[in-house]
Amino acid sequence: MRTDFGYFEEKKLGKPYDVKLLRRLYPFTWPYKIFFAGSILLVVFITLLDLSLPYVTKIAIDRYIVPQITPDKFEKRDSAQHKTGHKTGHKTRSLKADMSDPEIKTVVNNYPDLFKIDGDFAYIPFDKLSRLDKKELAVLRKADLSGITGITSIFLAIIIINFGLNFIRIMIMEYTGQKIMHDLRMRLFTHIQGLSIAFFNRNPVGRLVTRVTNDIQNMQELFTSVIAFVFKDLFLLIGIALVLLSINLRLALVSFAVLPFVVYASIHFSVRARDAFRDLRIKIAQINTRLAETIEGIKVIQLFLHEKKNYHNFARLNHENYLTGMKQVRIFAVFMPVVELLGAIALAVIIYYGGGGVIAESISLGALVAFIAYMKMFFRPIRDIAATYNIMQNAMASAERIFQILDNRESMPQPVIGPSSRFSSLEKIHEITLEDVSFGYVTDETVLKEISFKLVAGETVAVVGRTGSGKTTLINLIARFYDPVSGRITINGIDIKNYPTSVVRSKMALVMQEPFLFSGTIRDNIRQGKTDISEEMMEQVLKTSNCKTLINRLPEGIDTILSERGASISSGERQLISIARAFANNPDLIILDEATSYIDSETEHSIQEALFNLMKNRTSIIVAHRLSTARHADRIIVLHKGKIIEIGSHVELIKRKGLYFRFNQFQMSQPSTIIR
Amino acid sequence: MKSLHLIKPYFSENRYLIIFGLICLIAVDILQLIIPIIIKWAVDDLTLFNIDLIGLSSYALYVVGIAVMIGLFRYGWRRCLIGTSRRAEEGLRNLLFAHIQTLSASYFNRVKTGDLMAHATNDIQHVRMAIGMGMVALTDAVVLGTAAIGFMLYINKLLTLIVLIPMPFVVIGARFFSKKMHRLYGEVQKTFGDLTEAVRERFAGIRIIKAYNRERDESLKLKAISSNYIDKNLRLARITGSFFPMMLLFSNLSLAILLYLGGRQTIVLTITPGDFVAFISYIGLLTWPMMAMGWVINLIQRGRASLDRIDRILQTRPDIVDMPGAKSITGLSGNITFANVSFAYKHRNLPVLNEINITLDKGKTLGIVGPPGSGKTTLISLIPRLFDVSSGRISIDGIDIPQIRVFDLRSLISFMPQEPFLFASTIRENILFGNNKIKNSELITATKKAYLYDTIKLFHNGFETAIGEKGVILSGGQKQRIALARALLKEAPVLIFDDPISQVDLETGNDIINSIKSLAGEKTIIIVSHRLSAVRFADQIIALDKGKIVESGTHAELMEYDKYYAKTYRLQEIEEELNAH
Repeated sequence: MRTDFGYFEEKKLGKPYDVKLLRRLYPFTWPYKIFFAGSILLVVFITLLDLSLPYVTKIAIDRYIVPQITPDKFEKRDSAQHKTGHKTGHKTRSLKADMSDPEIKTVVNNYPDLFKIDGDFAYIPFDKLSRLDKKELAVLRKADLSGITGITSIFLAIIIINFGLNFIRIMIMEYTGQKIMHDLRMRLFTHIQGLSIAFFNRNPVGRLVTRVTNDIQNMQELFTSVIAFVFKDLFLLIGIALVLLSINLRLALVSFAVLPFVVYASIHFSVRARDAFRDLRIKIAQINTRLAETIEGIKVIQLFLHEKKNYHNFARLNHENYLTGMKQVRIFAVFMPVVELLGAIALAVIIYYGGGGVIAESISLGALVAFIAYMKMFFRPIRDIAATYNIMQNAMASAERIFQILDNRESMPQPVIGPSSRFSSLEKIHEITLEDVSFGYVTDETVLKEISFKLVAGETVAVVGRTGSGKTTLINLIARFYDPVSGRITINGIDIKNYPTSVVRSKMALVMQEPFLFSGTIRDNIRQGKTDISEEMMEQVLKTSNCKTLINRLPEGIDTILSERGASISSGERQLISIARAFANNPDLIILDEATSYIDSETEHSIQEALFNLMKNRTSIIVAHRLSTARHADRIIVLHKGKIIEIGSHVELIKRKGLYFRFNQFQMSQPSTIIR
Repeated sequence: MKSLHLIKPYFSENRYLIIFGLICLIAVDILQLIIPIIIKWAVDDLTLFNIDLIGLSSYALYVVGIAVMIGLFRYGWRRCLIGTSRRAEEGLRNLLFAHIQTLSASYFNRVKTGDLMAHATNDIQHVRMAIGMGMVALTDAVVLGTAAIGFMLYINKLLTLIVLIPMPFVVIGARFFSKKMHRLYGEVQKTFGDLTEAVRERFAGIRIIKAYNRERDESLKLKAISSNYIDKNLRLARITGSFFPMMLLFSNLSLAILLYLGGRQTIVLTITPGDFVAFISYIGLLTWPMMAMGWVINLIQRGRASLDRIDRILQTRPDIVDMPGAKSITGLSGNITFANVSFAYKHRNLPVLNEINITLDKGKTLGIVGPPGSGKTTLISLIPRLFDVSSGRISIDGIDIPQIRVFDLRSLISFMPQEPFLFASTIRENILFGNNKIKNSELITATKKAYLYDTIKLFHNGFETAIGEKGVILSGGQKQRIALARALLKEAPVLIFDDPISQVDLETGNDIINSIKSLAGEKTIIIVSHRLSAVRFADQIIALDKGKIVESGTHAELMEYDKYYAKTYRLQEIEEELNAH
């Protein structure tokens, strides 16, 4: 079961960015271009809204809370002093009051020594404002107060809209990502399903399942996390940079001085963090492997008293995992503080240089506060960069493995035929002929050698021979799971390669040694998607396949759901259902791989009977493990090491006193003895 | 929290590290709170033009200085606290592994490998996260939260209280949403399981699908399952999608309140512009601890659930243990007796073995034959106590095997199982199997007896050849001979072979049987085989059918008897003759 974890390939990981892979993903995203466009548009809006929040605060400060410096009415300014920026009362922030308002005029008149009147306006220095009482202040600054109310409403509107848009964006991204993955998953599944059996022999089921499930899941991360990151955070970074540049070009440029260090640290870190992530994943995979190995080999370990040694090996591996983990901890312990430090340096630069700007009146106080807020936003995405990089790399490795399978074109070659072609359907199988058929699963290793025989409609042919003589391979070729390496197989004189495989198989029914049933109801398993089976027909099928007893025993009857560990039906009963399935298909040709043994011998008899019913009036080829089965066949083919060494009826072969005769000699008394 | 005792040792073992880490963490939190104060001073001074560049540069230097200290302390807590959690992870995993090794074969028949794997990786990682990030986030939330609120209260009490109104919603929201998320996440995982199973089933049954032209229908069915998976994911996304924006909304609401009320208070000079800016910074600082509160509670709950699951495994007592009063007995010679032994697997009623009686004297050889499923492997598994008998008794030299300590019992027996289980290491390590005292010459003798030596010599790296997982690079016969060499090398008076030559060709098989034969007389030997020529030489042969002994005697006697043994023997003779051509 270790393949289920899909970790054995962990060592091989692709490059994080592979343009070719991205280009191949592109067609899958194309149907959703509108969603993509929509979410990009949303991201732009959201970024603008995110960026506007500190800006709104800036406006609130500059316009209402701490008003702009108005021309100093108290002392003459000296430009030389201004440049050096001495602190003293040389420069003062003053509040401008509009005297045309009678209420304000009253307040101003109450403090003639504090205000300096200049035409319609009165000016008061900021530090003297505290001498006024609160009520008077409120009157004096009522315009500011109502301004604050207005700007807060704008702020509120922005955050609510931001919330809504964010939600919509996430939903769209998620929907699109899921949809694309669904398409990719179906495409991959259909593709794998269409590949030849040879492919399935080479690739364990667990690995293929991992491709369709986990690997696709990894790609999902690419869409939801990475694309969200690329679009949202990248926009945010660019947006912040632009806003900072537009608020104050010089201050922005100066504070960007830390950026090269940030970029350097990020690159350096993401490479090291990636290595650490990767090492950690490999170590965990090794731990899993060792654990799986221990669990599967527990008997051997316990029998050989190997527990202590095995524990030490595991503990060593586990300690290596710890050390790797500590390496990762160290890397993060360095990177995170470094990024924070760089952020703090940027802040210091803003305080020093921006503060100087405020003194020099080239920057407003609000702009400075906004700068500080923006810088904080700027460093947030940078901290997440390592995780994003790791996700990206994982996704790329998965994409590589997925496309590797999609590139595999190993399916049975199908003829190109039109709907009116005489090969698009098959009326009835009159005869099947094998002409000099040879076959091997791998080159140089022939499993079947120059097999020739003819199977005529209505005939039952049994194939006997010991394990490895090529019996199962023979029926695999007839069902066209494989094509012969040389020679040909014909149906009614026409090479089966001329027919689409579905046409050939629609006339055949396969009953395997191990009855394979799908989870679902018994009815679905028998029907196999054929909805045109009437109740009466079904009844007939159940009767002739001896399934009635089973169906009657189950409380849910034919609608009992079969599941992995669900309904308790025996392997013999499963075989009965698989025979019913063959009945429902109403085939011309039965291909039967007889079971070597059934656990419950009670059902054995009813299976034999059901098979007998099934083969009646039909052509059948049976891989026989019981001589009794072979004896009832019209003809018997004896295979040995891939060759037909005897062929004929039971009577003929007995007369011949060859291998078949000698098989029989010892089995007269026990006809059901298994040939092994 | 009963299972807490599992992680306690790691806390006390690392208590100095933890204390140091926590001090670092608290220092970081406090220093972080000073930066807004510096910003406040700077803003206030700038409002009144009460500062020059020198003053500004000292503020800037404070910021950098504090940042450097924060950096150092942060490195400190990460190393100490997260490091401790990694330590606990390692220890827990070792503990679990050691325990799993003591559990008996029947436990592994019940429990799926995948589940155990999940415990050893996912659950332990959850515990680690709960310890490491749990400690950090909890401290952070408490220290940073109280301190930030304290500073804000110091600046302005009423404003603080009003501004903080949305914050409890962040905590409640985080709790509520993460609970919901947890549930929905469980559903997503379940449907993912369904999807995996659906795909697995279809690939496993690919022959039937192809034979019945079911490709299109199966695709449609899978499509429905995959669509269901999408639906579940989208439902989860609705929650996660609204969670983070909503948290942002709440903390932004605090900002809006601050902007309105704080702005007004600044205008009427109740607070200074610097205070106002500092408030903005504090609210920014508070958002994280508030969210962490909700998050950390879930993290800890998840960790606790995982710890409970781990504890449950650790509480599983192995079925096969030393009986009370079991003695350390060595030097037994190997007379084996089965008296009325019956056996049935737990939770299954059908008896696998029924009233088995065998007497096997020291130095004698017993052959066991019978059709598949007749109980041969089960019978021999009872001797080293891989399972315990349901009734009857097995004794060695007259001592009931439960009276012997398991370790001593298994030391008596060299067992070669049917499935030659090999480990992903070198051939040498697989044969020696930890028995490092063995001399090289002995190793070579054992491999020669198993007819493996010439094969090993063909490998480029000889004994040091790495054979891959389960020995993937080897053929079935090679694997079997390695397992055989392993069994032959173990110094034990009793040798048990389960189908030792099933994977090798006839000639090698005969040679191997001759090797085993050469040990007869000296050791007590039991051989199970489907190839009857392998047991021909045995002093006693039994044939099993449906858990019962149906034939018993020497080769000659059983041939005379002319039942299962004789018929099968003759049939195989013909085949062997045919194959010899």
